[in-house]
Amino acid sequence: MIEVIFTAFYDIEYTFLEVLRAIAPLTVLFIVSMVFLLETTREQIIRVIVGLLFVLIGLTLFLQGVYTGLMPVGEKIGIVLSNLSYSWMLIPLGFVLGFVVIMAEPAVRVLNYEVEKGVGGYITQNTMLITLCIGVGISVALAMARVLYGIPLMYLLVPGYILAFILTKFCSSTFVAIAFDSGGAATGPMTVAFILTMALGVTSNIEGRDPMLDGFGLISLVALAPIITVLLLGTLYSMIEKKNARQYEEV
Amino acid sequence: MESIKRTVLEVIYAVLPIILIIYILQFSVLSLPIDDVIQFTIGMILISTGLIIFLLGIHLGLLAIGEDIGTKITLFGNLWIIILCGFLVGFVVTVAEPDVRVLATQFDMVTGGTISKSTLIISIALGVGIFVALALVRIIKSIPIRNILLASYALVFLLAVIVDERFVPIGMDAGGVTTGPITVPFILALGLGVASVFKSKDSATDGFGLVGLASVGPIIAVLLLGVLH
Repeated sequence: MIEVIFTAFYDIEYTFLEVLRAIAPLTVLFIVSMVFLLETTREQIIRVIVGLLFVLIGLTLFLQGVYTGLMPVGEKIGIVLSNLSYSWMLIPLGFVLGFVVIMAEPAVRVLNYEVEKGVGGYITQNTMLITLCIGVGISVALAMARVLYGIPLMYLLVPGYILAFILTKFCSSTFVAIAFDSGGAATGPMTVAFILTMALGVTSNIEGRDPMLDGFGLISLVALAPIITVLLLGTLYSMIEKKNARQYEEV
Repeated sequence: MESIKRTVLEVIYAVLPIILIIYILQFSVLSLPIDDVIQFTIGMILISTGLIIFLLGIHLGLLAIGEDIGTKITLFGNLWIIILCGFLVGFVVTVAEPDVRVLATQFDMVTGGTISKSTLIISIALGVGIFVALALVRIIKSIPIRNILLASYALVFLLAVIVDERFVPIGMDAGGVTTGPITVPFILALGLGVASVFKSKDSATDGFGLVGLASVGPIIAVLLLGVLH
């Protein structure tokens, strides 16, 4: 028990140094722009210092949890599940995991918030969140199918992006921009650290699978699905808008 | 105080379902050693605590300054200054991006260090920097987002044909990981700042599209790295 707790904090000083190095350029940029660019108030300086300290501590704990908790256990889970005689259950499990993990992505929350603010409540945060969850669920299920059956990545990506670009024809440019934004935002540290590790665990355990070819690529599928779902949402919205406009004319 | 409470609750609601799924799996099919379950649980506690502190840090100070920088650099009215700043901001936030680090760690693990962790991170950061700059130019010049995206993805698929096929999945993944919890709020704020000064047809919506463009840059950068390799 105590050993396990020890493992969790193993090498935390390296994680801390990594985060320190990672946020150093950002800190320099802040200092330079606050000194030369902005008329900074005392309050702002305090805010930035506290903000950076919080980011430093928060990221260290987060990454430490990923390195010692999620990554090793995620890989084991992948191996155990791919050993099952009913290993197809990875596909529905993928859907559930994708759906649930996306709720945990802080980037998605920030994006939903900015979207609601930016379009004046036209798209609510909850509509965005549910749409993204379904999209990512489908994509993780597909990614698991790909790992299990060795489907080349391009067989899924090329038709996916063609579909996406066709859908952009039917949406307003606001929706196009939001859709491509949500694709990127959906793929946060939880997806990378947990689901990708699980998939890499599966590839290492199935004969004839190459983690480079079959394991990686999962993130790009996760990024694609929300693009398509949000564009579908956009197409639906513009159809409703057109219908409303027609009704208005009739009245 | 209210916002702190909300952040805490948001993170707890977000993390709990994952823990539950793993527990259900554990008792139905997994049966991992108890130590693994404890290790996972402690990891999730660290992750949730880290996430709460991190999110508070972003909202407390960093977002507002990002928006200020965006507004300020456009006041110079010099396109080159805006391009340079867009590049710098894109580069520095990507180096700080946790997802990029996690992916680079996994890549390192799988390949056994054929391409070092920092080479991969720097190529990804260069890709993001260049495309954030490009995205800002798009906002100022009101270039339709669809055209830029179409051209970029055409280039991506062209490079994907040329490059060693083992680089394609990691390259595509690099696009997704760049846009994590630091990059998204930061470049969104920067874009909204730039868009609000250049009040084009609809300033609010033109701030969007930055994240999407920022995720194409690293795909191209990593695929080019593969071609050069």
